[in-house]
Amino acid sequence: MRLPMLALKRRQWEPFAFASPSLVLIALVIMFPLAYSFYLSFLDFDLSVGPDANFIGARNYTESILRDGRFVGSIVNTAIIIGPALAAELVLGLGLALLLSRVARGRPIITALLAIPAMVSPVMAAMAWRMMFGVKYGAINNLGLQLGIIDVYFDWFGSSALARASVVLVDVWHNTPFMMLVLLAGIQSIPTELYDAARADGATPWQSFWSITLPLLKFTMAVGLMIRLIDLTKLFGLIFVLTYGGPGSSTETVAFTTYLAGFKDFRMSYAAALSYVIVGGVLLLTLLFLWIQRLREARAA
Amino acid sequence: MAIALERPRVAARRARRYRLRRGLGHVLTYLGLLAALVFFLGPFFWILTTSLKGNEDFFTFPPVWIPADPSLSHYLALFTRSSGARYFTNSLVISSLSMFAALAVSLPTAYAIARWRFGGGLLSTFLLVLRMLPAIALIIPIYIMYKMLGMTNSYLGLVVVYTVLYIPFAVWLLVGFLRDFPVEIEEAAMIDGCSRVRALVQVVIPIIAPGLAVVALFAFIATWNEFLFAVVLTGIETKTMMVLVTSFTSGGTDMFYGEASASVVLGVLPAFAVAFMLQRYLVKGLALGGTKG
Repeated sequence: MRLPMLALKRRQWEPFAFASPSLVLIALVIMFPLAYSFYLSFLDFDLSVGPDANFIGARNYTESILRDGRFVGSIVNTAIIIGPALAAELVLGLGLALLLSRVARGRPIITALLAIPAMVSPVMAAMAWRMMFGVKYGAINNLGLQLGIIDVYFDWFGSSALARASVVLVDVWHNTPFMMLVLLAGIQSIPTELYDAARADGATPWQSFWSITLPLLKFTMAVGLMIRLIDLTKLFGLIFVLTYGGPGSSTETVAFTTYLAGFKDFRMSYAAALSYVIVGGVLLLTLLFLWIQRLREARAA
Repeated sequence: MAIALERPRVAARRARRYRLRRGLGHVLTYLGLLAALVFFLGPFFWILTTSLKGNEDFFTFPPVWIPADPSLSHYLALFTRSSGARYFTNSLVISSLSMFAALAVSLPTAYAIARWRFGGGLLSTFLLVLRMLPAIALIIPIYIMYKMLGMTNSYLGLVVVYTVLYIPFAVWLLVGFLRDFPVEIEEAAMIDGCSRVRALVQVVIPIIAPGLAVVALFAFIATWNEFLFAVVLTGIETKTMMVLVTSFTSGGTDMFYGEASASVVLGVLPAFAVAFMLQRYLVKGLALGGTKG
């Protein structure tokens, strides 16, 4: 009678024992700091003033959204960068995945080579491109001058529009390979019989792309876009190295503005509030995306 | 009779046209991929050649694209003048420690989820949500806590953060590997008198070692690439390569190209190695955020 009970208890105990180290670490290093930061966001803790802090309610939050032009501007900047970057990464990634799926020989090696930009750190990608864009010694200006395409040493970060375009270009270079890998996996999971049947019925490759590949790839594309969208809201290292938010504050992203508030102005409480606004925004975006997905599925059904 | 002769001829013409179009399609496909390779790998190539140039090669026009006599002088300068050797070692040590710690902690958790469905679906969902969490939300409280504990500017501080940030990803991948592992082998070992822990260490781990290696390599790259925590939490002695590289941006867009390019070459080295070793797992790893710290 006692033996099975002991065995049961032991079996309930074991999973906890196995899982506890990481759960304890997550609680200590992620959950507790997050809770502490939430508490902090209702104070006026400012390291440049001193260790004393008072409870000021939701004033940090109202300031961030209603009165802080820089932060609101950074939301706009982030959106301006995200839109074209997502579109370009999807189209280019799809194109490359289609090309790769038609290659019979050397596909693994070409895929691995094309995937490399996605493996390097945003900081390194940005540094490489900052040098490429360099006014006097950069590869782009020198190549352009040598080929006679441009006739002056051009400043690729001279205006806010140019700087934003440069940021988008670098992000596209950095992350299109990821989109390509995801979509290639999606394309390869489409049964080839479908294409054989379509060809037997006299469909052109163009037609089978529109009525087989694209519809069956929708879900994969949605997942890829979702992941990229969430990652783009975190855009920081790339900005830090490529433009440091400039010119002016035209390429400051939400993460970058929050970093400045915390580690340049030392307004810890305010930065904590900003980070919670970002978390809320990302959560909202995710829910919106899921809702649209479900709506479209419901309409399709 | 005439019809019978005509048919094969028409068929042959059609086949030829088909083959021609397919041949053309192949050529265009490879041309497209070649253009992509130039765009995606060109910057690396240029950075590599730039890092091997002599100082005088920077000031000539037309520009020197491939240095006539490559020199390692910029690497030497980076390692001595800019303490590059120390920061490269820091990166290696921090990444290796985080990699081992993350594996050691994540494997038992993944085992609990795979074998006992620990936490139901809830734990897996929770781990996925953690993956979406912006690092900027964590850096502010952690910085304040580390200041109080005196843990800034230390290896330990960074290793702890990296280990924990990596747990969700490692557990997700490891659960997959463990589910593919036949339970019968383990049960056989346990019937023979092995304890659960011993079965895990002596039977399961050796067999899923390739899977562990995949997770480890992704962990290494992720911590190697991480920047936000590194730039906030490290000091002059504990800087990583990612932080060192940003110190070259102070000269505007025309910074000191030699050392900067040398540091980029060293900074992307692990990515090149791992991209080839992990070909098969790239999608899964990248999708779950394997290379983002």
